[in-house]
Amino acid sequence: MKNQLRQLLALSVLAGTAFAAPLSFDFKDPKGVNNVQFKLDAPLESITGTGTGISGQVSFDPAKPGATTGRIELAAKSLTVGNPMMGEHLQGGQWLDTAKHPVIAFELVSLANVRTQGGVTTADATGKLSLKGVTKEIKVPVSFTHLPDKLGARVNDPKVKGDLLVIRANFEVNRSDYGINAGKNTDKVAENIQLSLSIAGSAPKA
Amino acid sequence: MLRRVSPHLLLRSLAAALAIGGVGVWLATGAHRGWTRTSEVEMRRDEITGIDYPVRRDKFTAGIEFPFAALGGAALLAIGAAMLRPRERSSGPAGTP
Repeated sequence: MKNQLRQLLALSVLAGTAFAAPLSFDFKDPKGVNNVQFKLDAPLESITGTGTGISGQVSFDPAKPGATTGRIELAAKSLTVGNPMMGEHLQGGQWLDTAKHPVIAFELVSLANVRTQGGVTTADATGKLSLKGVTKEIKVPVSFTHLPDKLGARVNDPKVKGDLLVIRANFEVNRSDYGINAGKNTDKVAENIQLSLSIAGSAPKA
Repeated sequence: MLRRVSPHLLLRSLAAALAIGGVGVWLATGAHRGWTRTSEVEMRRDEITGIDYPVRRDKFTAGIEFPFAALGGAALLAIGAAMLRPRERSSGPAGTP
């Protein structure tokens, strides 16, 4: 009888793992930790800035990371630089035109070259980047770090149960591809925008 | 009674003050060779996720345009002072009354 119970328990755990639904991670971050950093080379000094207005949902299954789907958004007005005049130009019509295009979004289409070691999955993500009203498909090397049962520690409340998913990506886009002051001021500001994304999402458990 | 300061002396003094002030502020805020900043970013690490995140705080750092603008302004004031400088009376040719 005891053995039968054990077998039943093992079977139910196995079945649970095999048919576990993907976890839905919410990337709205009340702690203000999620961020994207950007850098453009320029003659006097590189133009660097940060954006923290990140939101979005990612569906991630630790058993099938290759099936990950999701969409991450950045509020364009949250992008800031150290120089206020430069910041006004950045938000203005010639550059990002944030009044007309308030959201920068990345929609994940597929993952390739998926490798998982420990809790870290690396892959080449193909997705649609929408920036200043232009949507283009790009390929981005990305890493997913699954942190099971770490939500409570993050919100300093052990009663809160849930997982965390950390996504990191470093990639470049060409500003001309997105109509950002296309072909202009190339002697003053580089064409390439280097982007570095570090975000964490949470999936609470009932 | 206050002595009336001549305009050219006043402009020369202003030029000197602007040049010294502009260069002084630039040196005092770290002699930054890039553009002026009104905030700076300090990176911190979130212990749970390991994410490095920026914390922006207000801090004025004068950029390279600061001393250049001050020296340019001072040069203009100095030119104005030179133009307002009273000409020395020249004595007439010998023999004239």
